[in-house]
Amino acid sequence: MKRGWQLASLGLMALFAYAIWLSANLPLIDELGPGPGFFPLWLGIIGLLLGTILIVQVTRAPDDGPSVAELMPDAAAFFRIGAIIVVLAFVTLGFEQVGYRITAFVFSIAVLLALGARSPVAIGIFAVCASFGVFHAFYYWLKVPLPIGTLGI
Amino acid sequence: MDTLSYLIAGFGAALSPANLTFAIIGCVLGTLIGVLPGVGPAAGTAILIPLTFKLDPTGAIIMLSAIYYGAMYGGTITSVLLNVPGEAASVITCIDGYEMAKQGRGGTALGIAAIGSFIGGIIATMALVLVATPLSSLALKFGPPEFFALMLLGLCLVTGLAGRSLIAGILMTAVGLLIAMVGIDPVRGAPRFTFGMPDLYDGVGFIPVVMGLFGIGEILATAEKPYKDVIKTNLSNLLPSAEEWRNSLGAIFRGTGLGFFLGLIPGVGSIIPTFMSYILEKRISKTPERFGNGAIEGVAGPETANNSYANAAMVPLLTLGIPSSPTIAVLMGAFIINGLTPGPFLFQEKPELVWAIIASFFIGNVLLLILNLPLVGLWAKILEVPYQYVCAGTLLFCIIGAYSLNQSTFDIWLMLGFGIIGYALRKLDLPLAPAVLGLILGPQLEKSLRTSLEMSAGAYDIFYTRPITLVLLILSALILVISALNLAPKEIRVSED
Repeated sequence: MKRGWQLASLGLMALFAYAIWLSANLPLIDELGPGPGFFPLWLGIIGLLLGTILIVQVTRAPDDGPSVAELMPDAAAFFRIGAIIVVLAFVTLGFEQVGYRITAFVFSIAVLLALGARSPVAIGIFAVCASFGVFHAFYYWLKVPLPIGTLGI
Repeated sequence: MDTLSYLIAGFGAALSPANLTFAIIGCVLGTLIGVLPGVGPAAGTAILIPLTFKLDPTGAIIMLSAIYYGAMYGGTITSVLLNVPGEAASVITCIDGYEMAKQGRGGTALGIAAIGSFIGGIIATMALVLVATPLSSLALKFGPPEFFALMLLGLCLVTGLAGRSLIAGILMTAVGLLIAMVGIDPVRGAPRFTFGMPDLYDGVGFIPVVMGLFGIGEILATAEKPYKDVIKTNLSNLLPSAEEWRNSLGAIFRGTGLGFFLGLIPGVGSIIPTFMSYILEKRISKTPERFGNGAIEGVAGPETANNSYANAAMVPLLTLGIPSSPTIAVLMGAFIINGLTPGPFLFQEKPELVWAIIASFFIGNVLLLILNLPLVGLWAKILEVPYQYVCAGTLLFCIIGAYSLNQSTFDIWLMLGFGIIGYALRKLDLPLAPAVLGLILGPQLEKSLRTSLEMSAGAYDIFYTRPITLVLLILSALILVISALNLAPKEIRVSED
C-alpha cells in the first residue's frame, strides 16, 4: 500500500506540475480581474505542495497495509479485468463503423465467455436481446440514436 | 401562491398518469440498480439518463429522482441477503441485517428497512416542504462571495470526512476541480486545456466520468472477487413482532432526525448518517451486546437515516444548487441536460416543476413501500441471476449511456479511461467522492470566485467583510482543522457514495 500511495502521489504531483505549466501560459490577470489561468494555477500550486507533503508523510509512515503485489489481482482475475477492458476498447473502436447491433452482439458473447459463462443457449439468448432487442427499445421506442453501421445493421 | 397551494398543484402534476408511470418505472429500475451488485446509485442513475431523453423535464426528473431513492433502498436487499452492500449507505446494514437473515429473520429485516425507509422518507419530505421556500428565499440574497464560500464548505465537508487521509482527500478534490477547468473558460469564453481537441471544448463530460469511476471501476473491482451465494432465509414473515416494533420505533424516529439534519449539510455523504445512526443506537441501547448479532435497531435506524438523508439531500440541491453526494451530482447533471439550473432561481422561474418533483417524493416513498414489501421475494430471485450476465448488461448500458449524450465515441473512451482510474483508486483506497464533487462544482466555484474578485476590483477583503461569507469560510476552515487533528469519529471518516 505504501509503494502504491507513493506512486499515486508522484502521479498527482506530475499532473499538478503540468497544470501549473499550462496555466502559466494563460492570462493570469486581465483588466476585468482574474484571468483563465488564475484558478488552475493556484490549484496546481496547492496540489503540488500537498502532493509533496503526502509523499513525505507516506514515506515516513510504517508500511502496515498490503504490498503492491498483494493489491494486484491474481491471474484469473487479471484475465477477467483485462478482457473487459480490451473488449470495451474494441467495441469503442468499431462502434460507429460496425453499428450497435453487431458490436453489442459480439461484445456480449466475448464478455460472457471471458467471465466464465458456459451455457451456449443462455449466452445466445442474452446476446440477441442485448443487441437487437436493446437496439429496438432505444432506437424506436425511446428515440435514443444508436449507430447503424456501414452494413446498415 | 403559498407553499400549500404550490404543493397541491405539484401533486396534481405528479399524479398525472404519465408522471405516475415514470415514478413507478423509476422506483422499479432504482430498486433493481440497488439490488444488482456492482452498480451503485451514482453510476446507475447516470447510466439510465438516456431513458429520459425524450421525456419532458418534469417527467425526466421525477423518473431519475425515483431511480435515486429506489437505489438507496435496493442496496438493503443485497446487504441482508448477500452481506454485500448494493451501495455505500447500506454497508452498516450488513452487520445486523445479514445476521438476522442467518437466523431466518431476513424477511423481518427487509420489512423493517422498508417501513423505516418509508417513515423516514415521508417525514423528511414534509420537512423539505417546510424549509424549501424560506431557504430558497434566503439563497436569493446570496451573491457570488456567499456562493463561493458555500461551495467551499461543501467541498471541505466531503474532503474532511473522506477516506483516511485529509491530504489525499484535498488532492482528489483538486484533481476534480482541475478536470473541471477543461473546456471553455466560464468567464472569458476562451478555450482552456483543450489541446486543440473539439471534443473537449464543452469540457470533460460529467456523466461519462461518473459512469467510469463508479460504474466501470466498480465492475472491474467486482470481477476480481468470487461471487457470493444468496443466503436462504425466511422471507414470508415481513412484519416485525410486537417486541421488535418496540425496539425499532425509537430507532426509526432518531434515524429520521439524524438523516434529515445531515442531509441538509452540503457535502455529507450518504454513508455518514447510517454510521452515526448505528453508533447512536448501540450507545443508547441497554443491551449493546445484541448489536452485531441481529439487533433489529441496527437495521431500522440506519435504513431510516439513509432514506431520510436521501430526501433531505434534495434540499441543498433544489434550494442552493449544491449537490451533497455524487448521486445527487448526477441528478444535478440531469437537471442541466434538461435545460434547468437547480437553485433558488428555479423556485421563482419554474415553481410548477419544482413542486411537482417534491410531490413526487411523497408518491415515490409510497410506491417503494408498495413495491418492496410484496415484491421482496422477486428481488431476492433477481440476486440469483449469474453475475456474468449482470456485468455484461451493465457494461452495455454504460456504453449506450456514454455514447448517447453527444453521439460521440469520445465519451466512451473517457468513460473507459476513468473506469481504469476508478479501479486503481479503489485498490489504493483513495476517495472518489471529492473528485466527483470537485468536477461538478468546479465551474461554479471558479466563476463565483472570479466574479467576487471582479466585484471587489481584485481585493480579497470581499470574503471577510461580508458576514455570511465569513461564517461559511470559518466553518470550512474548522472542518479541515478538525479533520487534520483527527477529531472526527473514525467510524464516519468515509464518505463514498
